[in-house]
Amino acid sequence: MQETALRKKTLKSNSYLVAGASLAAMIVLYLLSTEDPGTLLHHSKLQIFKMMFVSIIIEAMPFILIGVVISALLEVFVSERTIQRMIPKHPILGIVAASVIGIIFPICECGMVPAVRRLIQKGMPLYVATTFIAVGPILNPIVFWSTYTAFRSRPDIAYSRMGLAFMTALILGLIVYRFVDPNQLRQQEAISGQASSHAAPSPVDKSAVAPPLGQRLLEVMNHAVGEFFEMGKYLMFGALLVGVLLAFVGKESLVEWGQGPVSANVLMMGLGFLLSLCSTSDAFVAQSFLTTFSGGALVAFMVLGPMLNLKGILMMTAVFKARFVIVYSSLVIVLVYGGTWLLEKLWLA
Amino acid sequence: MKNPHLIIHHVLKLLILMGFTGYIAYLAFTGEILLYIAPHLVKYTELAAAGLFLFAVFQLYFLIRSRTKELPAACACGHHDHDHHAHDDHNHVHSHEPSRSVAKNALMYGLFILPLLFGALLPNQAFAGSLVKSRGIQVGESAGGIPADLAQVAGNDDPELKERFKSDKYNRDYAKLGMLLYRQDVIEMKDEWFIEKLQALNAFAGNFEGKTIRIKGFIYREEGLGENQFIIGRMAMTHCIADISPYGIIAESPQAGSFADDAWVELTGTITTTTYHGQQVIKIVVSDTKPAAAPTIPYVYPDWDFAKKL
Repeated sequence: MQETALRKKTLKSNSYLVAGASLAAMIVLYLLSTEDPGTLLHHSKLQIFKMMFVSIIIEAMPFILIGVVISALLEVFVSERTIQRMIPKHPILGIVAASVIGIIFPICECGMVPAVRRLIQKGMPLYVATTFIAVGPILNPIVFWSTYTAFRSRPDIAYSRMGLAFMTALILGLIVYRFVDPNQLRQQEAISGQASSHAAPSPVDKSAVAPPLGQRLLEVMNHAVGEFFEMGKYLMFGALLVGVLLAFVGKESLVEWGQGPVSANVLMMGLGFLLSLCSTSDAFVAQSFLTTFSGGALVAFMVLGPMLNLKGILMMTAVFKARFVIVYSSLVIVLVYGGTWLLEKLWLA
Repeated sequence: MKNPHLIIHHVLKLLILMGFTGYIAYLAFTGEILLYIAPHLVKYTELAAAGLFLFAVFQLYFLIRSRTKELPAACACGHHDHDHHAHDDHNHVHSHEPSRSVAKNALMYGLFILPLLFGALLPNQAFAGSLVKSRGIQVGESAGGIPADLAQVAGNDDPELKERFKSDKYNRDYAKLGMLLYRQDVIEMKDEWFIEKLQALNAFAGNFEGKTIRIKGFIYREEGLGENQFIIGRMAMTHCIADISPYGIIAESPQAGSFADDAWVELTGTITTTTYHGQQVIKIVVSDTKPAAAPTIPYVYPDWDFAKKL
């Protein structure tokens, strides 16, 4: 039985990993093939790539560690029942609750995905989790503060960002609640466990015979280390792609491509997706485009980027079924585009 | 059904965790970490290194235990060798067991080893303006509307000075900084508050006409500048290298042509004003130049709390 399960998992081989293999292989070949390593080491593009790659990893490291530790603690210490009790039954209340968790639980999107997967496995409804993934990285005090600071003279942009993020997540949550099958994790552990009223009790239920604290802490560390490698590889790959993009294509070319017939909002959304900046720093990047693009396009950049980006989507594909990732991405794109269009018509100058 | 290569997984994971711990510790120790991330993030990264070290210690323990203890039968599939998982054996595929495919494993560990390899093989390098060609340097205060509530800043400064630095509430901090700069004989653009000072100078450009300024930075050129003009700038990092952007001041000198792009110089000159992308900004009429060495850490970082330190 273990064998079949394993084979199934291998068959479900991740296409991103294949892509990653080729990229990594290319770079390793590149590193190995040149006769004179001295000249290669001074190759400026490779140097830029290295700095970008390492920088993104180092910057995200604290957040992914927080994410995997929270996830491991949830796994070992919090029962499914507790999670289910904490989430309001009413869908709208649940979605609103998920939107404001970010305010007291400000973690970056890098830490978000592992924590959310564990929450879903523990019975958090998919629509609540989706809302949380979308809005958590934006609707929190740190991000508001940094946006407000970056756009000192245009506070309406900071408010628009928060408002649009909230509305997008709300609508997104409702659509997922109404139309999407809740069974969207790649591996069927949580949902099936929940439905078949799990034979063995969860940790808190069997508190009478709970293993000693030391044993449970070991479990936490074991889960955390395991998950660090599992989620970390997507972070590494995401950082790799972003590094390649920034070093070999460059921000400017990305911007130039958009000077054609494509709308500025679409361009800035695309840029937000590709650059995969942390939601606390993207406002400063957006600010540097203030003379080039309209307020609406900048809001599009700052709302879409944290909800949907290259780095994060790789982690999502590890957790969710491909179909759900596509549905999520399409909804976010449509909602953010529509939202900024409305904002520009109604409010933003 | 025990995975015979479990030991390899354990060892690789241990080595990777130790590698990241060591690499981050090395960068933090040498201060080169500032080439990657902004100073306010350094403490989080150091905490992350401590966390990774802890992970490595536990991983070492798991490695030793996997050699000494028999694994429970139900969980022989992976490193998840805990009894609590025995109950999951029906339809439960563990989320983080090592795969048996050699290629997949090589790829996975390769992805972690790659940054360490790059870190070890390639030197750390700082970037000047050449990285951001054609996007346009920030020389001006970001486009604001008409200030809504112009007022004097509080405090017991010279009323004449306060009248000169009337500001709306978004510019109040810059007005205070501007007043501080106004009283200086020579306005020095140093690493600290480079961006903030630049904003203050540009927000009240007219007030500073005729003042002397000294600035060290790299030479940067862009379309639309005259033959005798260039921009002297610094790269600003908010979080990490992916977000660096250039900030600078337009400078004017008859010898402008003799400066190479990206070369570091120290300029002294007199402030006048000019218009750039429709905004009034300061311009330096250069009186003295001398070549300068690029600093080890060439970046400047925004200080969000500068107003509290004034």
